[in-house]
Amino acid sequence: MLKTRMRAKPVVVVLALLLVLSLAVYGCGKKKITSEEPYKIGAVLSLSGPNAPLGQPEERSLKLLQKQINAEGGINGHRVTFIIEDDMSDPAKASTAIAKLITQDNVAAVIGSSGTGTTLAMAPIAEREKVAQVCCAAGTKITQPVNKWIFRTPPTDSMAIEKVLQYLKSNLKVSKIAILHDANAFGVGGADELTAKAPGKGVEIVTRESYGSTDVDMTTQLTKIKDTPAQALVVWGTNPGPAIITKNMQQLGIKIPFVGSHGIANKKFIELAGPAGNGVVFPAGRMLIPSSIPADSEWRKSVDEFIKDYKAAYNADPDTFAGHGWDAGLIITDAMKTANTDRVQLRSQIEKTKDLAGIGGVFTYSPTNHDGLDVNDLIMVKVDNGAWTEVK
Amino acid sequence: MNLNLKENTTERNRVLWGTVAFVALLIALTVSIKGSTGLQWILSGLTVGSIYSLVAIGFSIIYASTRVINFAQGEFSMLGGLLLYSLCTKAGLPVPVGFLLAVIIVTLIGAGFERTAIHHLRGQSVITMIIVTIGFSIFLRAIALWSWGSNPLPIASFSGDKSVRFLGASLVPQNLWVFGFTAVMVILVFLFFNRTLVGKGMRAAAANPDAASMVGVSTSMSSLIAWALAAAIGAAAGIIIAPITMPSYGIGTMLGLKGFTAAVLGGLGNAPGAVVGGLVLGVLEKVAGGALPQGYSGYTDALAFLILILVLLLRPQGLLGKPEGIKV
Amino acid sequence: MPGPTVSYRNLLVVAAFIFLLPIWARLVPGSALHFDIVNLMVLAGIYAFAVIGLNLLVGYAGQVSLGHAAFFGIGAYTTAILCTRFAWFPTWLGVLFGALLAGVAGLLIGIPVLRLKGNYLAIATLAFGEISYIFFRQSGITGGTVGITRIPPFSMFGFSFDSDLRFFFLVWICVMVLMLLTINIIQSRVGRALRALHSSEVAADAMGVNTGRYKTKAFVLSAVFAGLGGALFAHFQRYINPESFMLTISILFLTMVVIGGMGNIWGALVGAISLTFLPEVIRALPQWIPGLPEGLANFNNYVLVLYGLLLMVFMIFMPQGMTVGLARGVSYGEMQAKRLKDRIRARKFSRGE
Repeated sequence: MLKTRMRAKPVVVVLALLLVLSLAVYGCGKKKITSEEPYKIGAVLSLSGPNAPLGQPEERSLKLLQKQINAEGGINGHRVTFIIEDDMSDPAKASTAIAKLITQDNVAAVIGSSGTGTTLAMAPIAEREKVAQVCCAAGTKITQPVNKWIFRTPPTDSMAIEKVLQYLKSNLKVSKIAILHDANAFGVGGADELTAKAPGKGVEIVTRESYGSTDVDMTTQLTKIKDTPAQALVVWGTNPGPAIITKNMQQLGIKIPFVGSHGIANKKFIELAGPAGNGVVFPAGRMLIPSSIPADSEWRKSVDEFIKDYKAAYNADPDTFAGHGWDAGLIITDAMKTANTDRVQLRSQIEKTKDLAGIGGVFTYSPTNHDGLDVNDLIMVKVDNGAWTEVK
Repeated sequence: MNLNLKENTTERNRVLWGTVAFVALLIALTVSIKGSTGLQWILSGLTVGSIYSLVAIGFSIIYASTRVINFAQGEFSMLGGLLLYSLCTKAGLPVPVGFLLAVIIVTLIGAGFERTAIHHLRGQSVITMIIVTIGFSIFLRAIALWSWGSNPLPIASFSGDKSVRFLGASLVPQNLWVFGFTAVMVILVFLFFNRTLVGKGMRAAAANPDAASMVGVSTSMSSLIAWALAAAIGAAAGIIIAPITMPSYGIGTMLGLKGFTAAVLGGLGNAPGAVVGGLVLGVLEKVAGGALPQGYSGYTDALAFLILILVLLLRPQGLLGKPEGIKV
Repeated sequence: MPGPTVSYRNLLVVAAFIFLLPIWARLVPGSALHFDIVNLMVLAGIYAFAVIGLNLLVGYAGQVSLGHAAFFGIGAYTTAILCTRFAWFPTWLGVLFGALLAGVAGLLIGIPVLRLKGNYLAIATLAFGEISYIFFRQSGITGGTVGITRIPPFSMFGFSFDSDLRFFFLVWICVMVLMLLTINIIQSRVGRALRALHSSEVAADAMGVNTGRYKTKAFVLSAVFAGLGGALFAHFQRYINPESFMLTISILFLTMVVIGGMGNIWGALVGAISLTFLPEVIRALPQWIPGLPEGLANFNNYVLVLYGLLLMVFMIFMPQGMTVGLARGVSYGEMQAKRLKDRIRARKFSRGE
């Protein structure tokens, strides 16, 4: 009898300690409410984990935006605060984070997340609590079918595919292509999209091969592709796969054009591929080459300013992800000018956004379109001796 | 305990030659059906297979000496590659110097872990050992993420990238480095365990710890050397393959899993087995990847694990290992 | 080694403690934070399903598994597929099917694989877990890499468990039921057989215990529990993708068992709750410490470093886990206190008082 009582005690003690500790920590972490209540916008971003390269620039943009808005007097006299949580690229943590932001911090809207999986995990909660969620992820399923409460800022995978198909038909003038894609969500999504849309544009897919995200040698797949009548190779994946593929192609002496995805729209790809990466073409947002945006437009002005301010604040050039983050913040704060912090009104106001010049493009939403951008906001970029040039 | 040693060796020889014959047949078939494309698959298989072998050798050395499965073996290779980046690509040291330094650092890390954790926990349950090495791998991965970030790192090939052709297939110089290094490693490991006193002592300690300590072989020293060796070989391997793999903090996971499949396939605790296992696994993966129709190429990842389960169920001692006694 | 009886009274005490949690959370001044504490407790409870089963398998039956995320996933995907493909499919039936299918998988895998021991069993279960993950990721029926969205909320008898609070009670009531069940098993003939085979499989065999059958039973039961947890997870998060069922989750379950304490059924709860809350507590710490330099202030980078360190340190200093370790610590402390009391009394006596 004595023995069992002794055994339950430490258990209860441990449980009690843990819970009290957690409660205390959360209690102390709660922000003090001031009389001049700031407008709070929540953000769930992937600051660590596999999607950190996407989330970290997004966070920097939001912090920059917050500073700028508050320096100019805030929105309708109120300061703006972005409360940023890290979902660690984990869907379970993303849903915990959005729950906390909505119920504990009482935010008016939520930005998030950086990747498709984490965004989809947040959606049911946003929907249930009736809070607008503006995401920075490109997965098609997020807005198909259109979810009343979810919006997005980056161009979708289907827009990128459309751009690629345009390029294949008009510039390369090819009719037979091969696809080599990463087995991860991004690669499969793009490959599926391409497989579905290509025949409609008169492009035949002669073969479709895949590789694992951690594979280090793709020569097997490439030799099979070499044996087909493919006139161009579309590679859909994230670093380092495509870089390894450029090197493998050099090794095997494969000369057909390499058309990549926006997954390689970064300097990292150029570093990894080295000289093998020259001549590679991929779709990307116009901010990569600001001169591709008409010189006298609002959009161009925003992009030039953004690049200048980001560089000054962080001593690094912003990439497209930084742009997506900025745009998400911009769209919400712009809608707040009319709707303030009323969640339902804010959602309607976001949906009414028309011709708002951001970084990724000029945004227009509607009840049937929560994507905001279209294929014309993208350009084809070529890697030329370590630099980017626009392909007209 | 099976005392019928002669039968054992004959059986093992049979398996070894059987495997060689199988692989030769596979190669012959592939090349005859698919010509130079098939040869390319084989070469690619030998390249990744060598990578697996190098990691597998590390697993086997540790398992042989301490009966511990080191879940952090892949991380030794990861650290080797990342350290080389910092020392050579960033700080500009010449490659041989960077190589040496990186290997020394990782060896110290491995030895340090052995002294603090493994030595302290000797004799503890399997679960404890599993969790402690898993903890070590998580720790190393997290430190790497913190120090080097999440992006893959570019490391220049040692002898350039001009492809080398033969018989219709091609290789790059770095592949030759990998092959060469694997061959050298195999020879060195063989010499160490069969011709040096230290190596033979370690084998004795592994086979029968009590008898070995009675003749003056220290099991504790044996364990330390095993871990230091595995860390050194792992790091060196990581460096040699770095230009090919473009390493990042997460690469240890894949290397570890594949390496360990290779080690089990060849026979856990058996160094030549590790090499055979690695090469067979690599070639099987690439030939299957080549032969499989389009829609199924995603399943080749599963091939390694399927092989693992089959080996464990049908022949747990692997191709070249000795059947282990039942622990009472 | 696991001791004899565990009192049901303890179960009641713990249950009361946990069910009062939403109220306790409200009492903390200056916050309406119990929703996310509740949210986290739901997750801890869901994980507890798998951990209780695994604790039985590892702590009592002495086996090991590095592939339990597969059973968790089978439970989740079964109910997700059934409930999204057939809009009329009742969710509670989906959960039941999920648990059942996980059990069947446990049987099919367990029978061949449990012949292996120790390290080899660990590797075989790891391989099975990885194969399952690859299947979840590749197969069309599971939604491939994107997964399954719009999973309906759990509902029973017309009552929909759509909020965190409702799910909290659902999950924790089920956890308590599972605990009851497990305590029963441990105290029964089956439990004694399991413990016998844990101490020495050969001796147990010699005594007439059908070791193979008991091992399989324990394995299947742990698979069913994990499948149950997974199915509830699917209805809680309402979206699943293969990334939620990777090796890291299998390792997390095993870690929760080991750190919580093997050979003690409370270890499962302690492990599940503490390892769910710990990363969040670590991440929240910077708010306590003002004026940290930039690189240090982002504790997200540390969480994994500390987690790895924690595992190693625990195995070195407290390999039996928290409940067993702390129980020993407490009884050691009590023994010292008693000794001290005796010494004082003896001294008083010798002075003639």
